[in-house]
This record gives sequence, C-alpha cells and structure tokens, in this order.
Amino acid sequence: MHMADALVAPAVAATMYVCSGAAAGFSVKKVRLESDPKKIPVMGVMGAFVFATQMINFTIPGTGSSGHLCGGMLLTALLGPYAAFLTMIGVLLIQCLLFADGGLLALGCNVWNMAFYGCFLGYFLCWRPMMKKGMTRGKIVGASILGCVLTLQLGAFSVTLETLLSGITELPFKVFVGTMQPIHLAIGLVEGLITSAVLLFVYQARPEMLEGGIEKEESRFSFKKTMVILLCAAVLIGGGLSLAASSHPDGLEWSIEKITGSTEVENEGNSVHEAAETIQEKTALLPDYAFKGSESLAGTSVSGIAGSLIVLVVCVGACYGFKFFRKSKR
Amino acid sequence: MDTIAERDQWVNHIHPLVKLVLTVAYIAACVSFSKYDLTGILRMGIYLIVVFILGDISFRDSLRRLRIVLPLVCFVGLFNPFFDREPYLQIGSLVITTGVISMVTLMIKGIYSVLAAYLLIATTSIEKICYALRLIHVPAILVTQILLTYRYVSVLLEEANRIMQAYALRAPNQKGVHFKVWGTLAGQLLLRSMDRANEVYESMTLRGYRGEFYYAAKEPCKGKDYLYLFVWLAVFALLIVI
Amino acid sequence: MSHIHINLEHVSYSYEKSVPILKDISFVAHENDSIGLIGANGVGKSTLLKLLVGLNTDYEGSIRVEEMPVVKEMLPKIREKIGYVFQDSDSQLFMSTVYDDVAFAPRNYGLSEAEVEKRVCRALEMIHIEHLREKHIYKMSGGEKKMASIATILAMTPDIILMDEPSIALDPRNRRNLIHILNEFEHLKIIASHDLDMILETCSRVILMANGEIIRDGDTREILSDRELLEENGLELPLCMQRI
Repeated sequence: MHMADALVAPAVAATMYVCSGAAAGFSVKKVRLESDPKKIPVMGVMGAFVFATQMINFTIPGTGSSGHLCGGMLLTALLGPYAAFLTMIGVLLIQCLLFADGGLLALGCNVWNMAFYGCFLGYFLCWRPMMKKGMTRGKIVGASILGCVLTLQLGAFSVTLETLLSGITELPFKVFVGTMQPIHLAIGLVEGLITSAVLLFVYQARPEMLEGGIEKEESRFSFKKTMVILLCAAVLIGGGLSLAASSHPDGLEWSIEKITGSTEVENEGNSVHEAAETIQEKTALLPDYAFKGSESLAGTSVSGIAGSLIVLVVCVGACYGFKFFRKSKR
Repeated sequence: MDTIAERDQWVNHIHPLVKLVLTVAYIAACVSFSKYDLTGILRMGIYLIVVFILGDISFRDSLRRLRIVLPLVCFVGLFNPFFDREPYLQIGSLVITTGVISMVTLMIKGIYSVLAAYLLIATTSIEKICYALRLIHVPAILVTQILLTYRYVSVLLEEANRIMQAYALRAPNQKGVHFKVWGTLAGQLLLRSMDRANEVYESMTLRGYRGEFYYAAKEPCKGKDYLYLFVWLAVFALLIVI
Repeated sequence: MSHIHINLEHVSYSYEKSVPILKDISFVAHENDSIGLIGANGVGKSTLLKLLVGLNTDYEGSIRVEEMPVVKEMLPKIREKIGYVFQDSDSQLFMSTVYDDVAFAPRNYGLSEAEVEKRVCRALEMIHIEHLREKHIYKMSGGEKKMASIATILAMTPDIILMDEPSIALDPRNRRNLIHILNEFEHLKIIASHDLDMILETCSRVILMANGEIIRDGDTREILSDRELLEENGLELPLCMQRI
C-alpha cells in the first residue's frame, strides 16, 4: 500500500502533495479551533501506538497468515477525523524516513491514499452516520469493517491510478485494478475485523474515549461534508477523465505519437497525464530524446554508459582525495 | 539511526533544510527521467556515491532498507518486458527489448530514491528534519506531534513487545495473536497508551505548558550551506541536460 | 512562618462517589520539612500528591500552597512553585533530548534563550549529569532517565518538590546518588515511597497512611522503628533496622 518514489511522476507527486497539504491545513485549523491543549500529546502518543500495533501479528483463523490494524479508521473513531488525519501524517512521515516504508516524494500520495480516505471518509461516510443514533456493539463492528473495506478499496484504486498516471508501468489498467482491488478487499476485511475488536474493547472499558454520535455544530458539519465530497469528486472525476482520455493512445503509443510530432493528440486528449508531461517538459526535467529503436541511439547509449562510468570513477577519486585531505589537516 | 546522524561528519553539519530540499529535488529529478533513459539515470548515481563517501555511511546497512520497497516496484516493473517487446539493442543473438530497459530503469529509480532518503536520515536527525519543516512553515501542531510520536515509538514498541512476549510464553504454539484476544490485547495497549498520553499531558501542564511549544532558534543557513545546495542543484541540472 | 508551606484541612477525595480514596486528611508542611509519605499499595499516596499540584481539583476540604488555594484559577501560579516527579520517567520526559526537556519549563515561562541555557546547565550540574546534556532520551537507562526527570523540575527552581516513588527501578549506586541529591535540596520536599531505608536517610518527618487516612504523623526514626505499627499497615521495618 505504501507507494515508493519510483512509482510516481513528479507532477503526480506534486498534485497529491497539494491535495494532502490542503486537507492537512484544513485539519490544523480545525484542531486549533478545538483549542484543547491535551490534543497534541494524545495525538503524539496515539501515533506511536499505531506504530507499535503494526508490529503485532494477528493470526487470521483458518489461514496461516496474519493481519494488522487499520490505523486511520481506529484513530478517526478515537480522536475525530482532523486530529486523526494529522496523526496519520506523522506516522507516515516517520515510517518513510526510518523504515523506508513509502517514499519521500510519494508521501503526498500515501497521505492521501491511506490517511485521507481512512480518516475523513471513514469518519464522515461510515462512523458518524452510523453512530448518530447511539452506539451499539453491532454498529461499531459494522462501521469499522465497512470503513476499512471502503477506505482500502479507494486507497488501492488511487494507488493504481497514480501509478498509471505517472506512466510507470506497461501493465494494462484492467489487470492492475483486477489484482489490486481483490487483494485489498481481503486485507480490508481482516483489518476491519481487528479494528472492530479493538474498538469493542474500548467501548466496553471506556466508552467515553470514542468519538460520540452527538455533535453540537450541525450546520458547520454540512459545510465540511460538502467540502470533503467535492474534494473526492474532483479527484475521482479527474482520474476517470484522464483514464478515458488516455485509453486509446495509452502509455507508449501515445509517447511515440508525440515524438513523431502528431500534435493533434496533444490537443484532443486533455488528460491529466498529458498535463503532467507538459509540465515536466516545461520544467525541463524530462528529456525527450532517449527513445528506442534507431541504431545511432543504441550507439550513443553504449558510449553514454562508458562516459558515465568514467565520471563516476573520477567522482569517487575526488571524494576520497577530499577526505584524505581533511584527515591529514586534522 | 540517530547515532549515525549525530557523528561529527562534514555532511552532518550541513543545514537540515538544505539537505531536505536537495533530497526531494534529487528524487524528483531521478523519477522524471524517461523510462528508457538508462544511462541518464545511471549517471544520477553520482550524488549518492559522493554523499555516501563524504558522510562515511555504511552501504551495507542501507541495503537492508531496500527489501521493503523493492517488492512493489518489482511487481509493477516486472510486466514491462512482457507488454513492451520492441527491440532496443542487439548484442550478438541477445535482443534486449525496451520493456527490459524500462524495467531496469524503474528498479534503479526505486533504489536511488530509497538510498537518497536513507542518506537524508543518516546525516540528519528527525529533530533536525522537524526543525527544517518548521522553517518552511509546516504548522507547529503537526511538527510537535511528529516529534512526540517519534519520542514514544520506542516506548510503546517496547511495551508491545513485552505484551507479545508475555503472550507467546503462555501460548507457545501460536505464531501470532489468536482472534479471540485481538481486541483485549491491542485494546489493553491502547488504554495504556491513552493513560500515558494523559500523564504526558499532566507532565506538560505541570511545567507551564499552555498549548504552545517553544523551540530554540537554531543556526541560520550559512554561505557554506548555500554553496552546497547550489553546487548540487547545478550538478543535477547538468546531469539532466546532457 | 516563612512563605513556603502547604496546608491541608479536612481533605477528602474520591474518583467514584462510592469509593473514597482520601478521607479527612489534614496536615501542615513547612519550609525545610522533608516528609516521607508511606503506606501500603493503593492507600492514596499518589492521589494525595496529585491533589497538591491540582491534577485533580474536585476534592472536598481545603488545600493551600503558600497561602494560594489549589483551584483552577490559581494553578499556573502554584505549578510554578512546585516540581512534581512522576513515577514513570518516560511519561515525564517527552522531548527527544535531555537539553530540550529540561529547557521545556523555562521556555514556557518566557525566559530568554540565554537564561534558559543557564537554568538548564545549573539543573544538570546540581545532579551531576552534564554529560547527558545532548543525549537522546530513548537511549538512556532507567537511572539516567530518573536523574533527567529530576533535572527537568529543578530547572523550574521550585520551592517545593514532590516525588512519587523516586527510587524505584534504580540500581544501588543511582539510588545512593538520588539520596545525595535529595539531601542537597533544602526546601520543602514530600516523597512517596516504599523504600523505607531511603526515607530514613532523606526525611526528618514521616506521614503514615492507610485506607486513605493519616494513621501517624511524626518523627521518622520514631515511626520507622515501630515494628508493630508498620506491620499493622502492610509495611515492615527498614532493612537497616531489621538487623539490630
């Protein structure tokens, strides 16, 4: 589920950073409004808790495998969506830095795929509506399983979309989605069960800890809701559109057309992917020459490899020289 | 990790913000190489090699981190050779297709970006990275909470470990936690964590905390840091252009 | 009477209405007093300490710290005067390095960074852990953590120190070290502990509690040598007295 840096194009990564950043900014504002000084230590320690429970293997009955806890859904039930979202960002950042679990560039994507869906959708679409008229054990189980499955499905779908939009894989969309979704359906079910077990325990031991169904500011909520729905809709529509647009000249063929200079495609297919490519070209991060086929290109690449190696050797030599110099100076 | 990050190495004294920016720029540059540009991406390795040597960082330790990332990257890349069969290069009777090239390029990108992140964390402690985040105006709530999470990860991991050991000693033939005690086991840990959070909060308020964390203003960017930043950015730009 | 003192009059407290934790506690603690708070598990020692710093304010009776009643409005002022050392150092130390943690309180009280540094250095010097200054807390031993926790409250230059089981989880040498530090602090201190030998060495006065009540309040030697009284209340003679 954690996306690596290699799977995202800079434009996709930047877009997702902006989306996640907006959600984070909104959450920070919300948490500040609550002005509960206790929230920060609780968020910090709960983040560490999610971390710690990731290390516990829960055996799945009937199979030999084991599952883990779904952090986003659990946190959102305990802390509310805003604090939970911020907490998850912290967890993801530390995971990325300390354990290389997810990339630095892909952090925006990961925050969106895991934290945003888990915390916001899990809360507003599952937890809140179900708990509105009082909590029961059944409802807690239902909400957590539904929430986990839903958020993981969306998360997995987003991973697929982001990877495809980045133009990384040749894997056809159907195959990719066909493998990602069922796997994450199973994972979602298990995570939901584990999460519900934990929440049930909390419900019995200290029900006051759970984010209750009674909310005071009903009018404000509708604003939040529309905002969240709008954001999601924008992302989904954007993704869908771009998919439809790039489905005919998909991936490689499309690139060839671009190389051969058929500008019509560029004007027609107004896809996110294309926009991304244009931005890349403009920022000159994507050189558009190294393409397959011709003899001369193969030749240049062989000489290119040789040249690169020489440069590397010189570099290494220079570094050791530099270090030697410094040591002798001391 | 912090032990490496706190050694007295030249690279470790570079301003954290500079290193953060460079790392992100580097990864972005790597990732934006065309998927067939094997030589271009190979050349990007210069940065990694130089920092590895300057920072005196063990290459072996860093390889262990790769095993988490590589599976997914490989899964995604592995199909390229099957779907993309155009010949790219012929050496004798061996035909290398574009799919193979793109797969290898993708894997190298994956390895490079993981190593770059590793180099960041190996030369910069989390606190310093958080300080850099503050400098680029990441909200204080978020940064403070990240620091607290980082602080308590080790404490709670130990606690989780103790619980798991106690469990394993009394349930010797199980690999993981039986589903009947899923809730109670993790729930206990949760309640304890909550109590701890409470105590942490109490400890804070007893020492004058009123919702705001104060950090010492640390050193600003010096000429040396700017130089380091611009030299590398220039190198990246050069590597991309050629 | 000097300005440093604590007065408790008829204090009662309960978490749940039906189960009283503290019943009608009254005592006065003066400057220079060093009080050992002893009693079996669960008699309310920790609860009593928490009441003094206002972590729970819905008690009955009256608590006054330096003539300020312990109520919500006065808490910031009171907490500036009192340093409270938690039983679990990991909860007390929440920053990542010793320096930042010790500097937390001075920074919150709005001191300049130069002044903060002075305070931190002084606090570290007082307990002889200058070498731990930049160390990461999660890498420290239990003893080092306890010392650092004490430094965090000394940096507030408190008039009063409260400690909850300070010698627990300390090896003999660290425990000895702690005793020295406690004896060096000349203001009012109240120490809740089962380590009666330590109490004997650090406190001049002992308050013995049982079932939420004060059973005896008096001279340390007198109480701690009273085998019958101690055993009645779930304790036993300090080890150094058992040999006699």
